Amino acid sequence: MKWEFRNDAPIYSQLIALMKLGIASGEFKPGERVPPVRDFALQAGVNPNTMQRALTELEREGLVFSQRTAGRFVTEDAQMIDETKRKLAEAQVRSFLGAMSRLGYGKDEIVGMLGQCGPADSGENEKEAAENADL
Amino acid sequence: MLGKLLKHEFRATARTMWPFYAALLITSLGANVAVRVMESKKYSDSVLLRIFSTLVIILFVVALAAVGIMTLVMMVQRFQKNLLTSEGYLMFTLPVSEHSLILSKTITAAVWFLATGAAQVLAMLIMSFRVSYVNKAWEDIRQLFSQITSYYAVNGAAFILEALAVAFLGCAVTCLMFYAAMALGYGFPTHKGLLSVVFFFVFLVALQILGTMGLFASFDGGLLGRGYVGTNTAVEVIRSVHLAMGVAAAAELVLGGIFYAVTALNLKHRLNLE
Amino acid sequence: MPIFECRNLTKSYGAAPALSNVSLTVEPGRVVGLLGPNGSGKTTMIKLANGLLTPNSGEVLINGMKPGIETKKIVSYLPERTYLSEWMSAAQLMDFFGDFYPDFRRDRAEEMLARLGISQQQRVKQMSKGTREKVQLIMVMSRAAKLYLLDEPIGGVDPATRDYILSTIIQNYEPDSSIIISTHLIADVEKVLDEVIFLNRGEVVLRSSVDAIREEKGKSVDELFREVFRC
Repeated sequence: MKWEFRNDAPIYSQLIALMKLGIASGEFKPGERVPPVRDFALQAGVNPNTMQRALTELEREGLVFSQRTAGRFVTEDAQMIDETKRKLAEAQVRSFLGAMSRLGYGKDEIVGMLGQCGPADSGENEKEAAENADL
Repeated sequence: MLGKLLKHEFRATARTMWPFYAALLITSLGANVAVRVMESKKYSDSVLLRIFSTLVIILFVVALAAVGIMTLVMMVQRFQKNLLTSEGYLMFTLPVSEHSLILSKTITAAVWFLATGAAQVLAMLIMSFRVSYVNKAWEDIRQLFSQITSYYAVNGAAFILEALAVAFLGCAVTCLMFYAAMALGYGFPTHKGLLSVVFFFVFLVALQILGTMGLFASFDGGLLGRGYVGTNTAVEVIRSVHLAMGVAAAAELVLGGIFYAVTALNLKHRLNLE
Repeated sequence: MPIFECRNLTKSYGAAPALSNVSLTVEPGRVVGLLGPNGSGKTTMIKLANGLLTPNSGEVLINGMKPGIETKKIVSYLPERTYLSEWMSAAQLMDFFGDFYPDFRRDRAEEMLARLGISQQQRVKQMSKGTREKVQLIMVMSRAAKLYLLDEPIGGVDPATRDYILSTIIQNYEPDSSIIISTHLIADVEKVLDEVIFLNRGEVVLRSSVDAIREEKGKSVDELFREVFRC
C-alpha cells in the first residue's frame, strides 16, 4: 500500500479512500486484522487521531468492524466488498467518460478504442499512461 | 533532588580535577627523592643529577600552584558552562529549584577548595617526609599543638573543626561572589563575559572598602576598645578566638546571603539562554 | 483542563515585543504545530512555557500551573540546540534522565538507541551532529510526559532522520498528553499534526485543525502558510 496524499483534501478522507481501495482490490483480505491505531498511523505516517477518525468512519459504513478485546477486522461481508468495488469502479468509469467527452469522443468511438487499447499494467506503461492522461 | 545534583556535580568535576591531584602526588614523591638527592654527599657531585632534581622540585612547586589555580578555574568554568550556556537548557528544565542548582555548585566547589588545600598540605608532607630540617619543624608544631590543648583546656580538635567550618564558609562565599558576578553579567544581551568580570571587580572593591571600615570599627570604639578581646588571661584568649571565629562566620553568612540572593534573582528573572 | 494555556501573554526584549497579548489553549491528546517565520515568537513561547523566561505580563499555564518544579516534572523539552554534556556517554545520559525524571522509560530509550546502532558507551563528544540530535530526541521522547515541547526537531537533519523523528513522535502519542512542535518545515510535518497555530510578529494569526484548512480552503497547510506569509 502506497500511502500517498494530495494537498487539497483532508488526510482522513484520503485515508478512507485508500483503505476502501485496499479492501476492494483484495490487498486487505476479508476478515484480516487491522493493525492497532497507533501502529497503522505509523505505517501511513499520519497522526493517530486522523487514523482513528478514518477507521471510525469505515466502521460506521460497515467496511470494518471491531471486536471488544480482539481489535479491528476487515469485514467478511462479500456483498459489501463487492458493492464497494462496484462503487469505486463506477466512479472511475464516470471520470473516464467525463474526460473522453471533453476530448470529443462519442460512445461508439470509445468502444472502438476499448477494443484496441489494453490496460496499462506493467509498471512503466502505467506511469506513462497516467502522465498522458493528465487532462 | 539536591543530593542527586551533588552526586552529578562531583562526578562532573572530579573528571577535571583528578589528573591534577595525580600530578601533585607524583611530583611530591619525585620532589622527596630530589631533595634527598640534593642533600646526600654521594650524588651532589653529578651536575646532571643536580639539574634533574632541581627540575623535579620546580615541577612540584608548579603542581602545587596549578592545583590551586585549577580549582578556582574549574569552579568558574563549571558554573558558566553548565548553567549559562547550552547545558543550561537541560539544567534549568530539570524539576529542581534554582536554589538547588546554585547550592549544589557552591557546596561542591567549596569542598574541592578544602580538598585542594588538604592535598597541598599532604603533598608538602610527602615531599618533606624524613627530610631532616622539616622533621624538626614538624616536631615543634606537634609540641605547640599539645601545649595549646593542655594549657588552655581547649580541645584542639574542636578548634580545628571550627576553623574548618569558617574556611568552608569562606570558600562558599568566594564561589558565590563569582557566581553573582556571572549571573549579573549573563543577564545582559551582549558582552556577557566582560560584564561579569566588571561586576566581579566591583564586588572585590566593595569588599575591600567594607573590610577596612570593619577593621576600624572593631578597633576604635568596637570590640577591642570595649575590652571583649584581649590576650591577658587564658580565658580571654579562648574567648577572643571564639569571638573572632564567630564574627568571621557571621560576616561570611551575611556576605554569602547577599551574593546568593543576587545570583538566585538574576538566574530566575534575567537569564536568557541563547 | 487544557494541558497548555496562554492568557494575555506578553514578553518583550527591551522595546521589541516578542509576544503580544497571546491567548490560546491546547487540549490533551493533540499534536499541534506552532508555525511561523523566524522571529515570530515561537521559541519565546516555548521558553516561557519551560520557565526559562518570565513574562512581562499575562501568564502561561501548564495543566493549570505556573511554570515551576511541578510543571517541569510533566514537560519534556527538546530545544533547538544540543544541551548534552560532552563528556557523558549515552548510558550516563540515561542514568541522568532516570535520576531526575521518574517518568523516564529507560527500556524505551535503550531500545531506540539499539535500533539506531548507537553504542551505550559512546560519548557525546564522539558523536556526529546528527547522532547527537537523535540521542537528544530519544531522551526527550522516552519520558512519559504530559506535554512535549519540540523546538525545530527536524531542522538540520537529513530526510531519513526526519522520517525517523516523525515516526518517533507518532509512536509516543498518548491520549492524555500533547505534543507541540515548533517548526518552519511544514510540508514534512503536516500529516502528523492535528492542529496548527500560525504566529506572526508575536501574535496569533490563525488557529485551526489541519482537516478544516484542507476542507475549507482546498489546500494544504504548507500552501496556506506560504500564502499567508508571502514576502
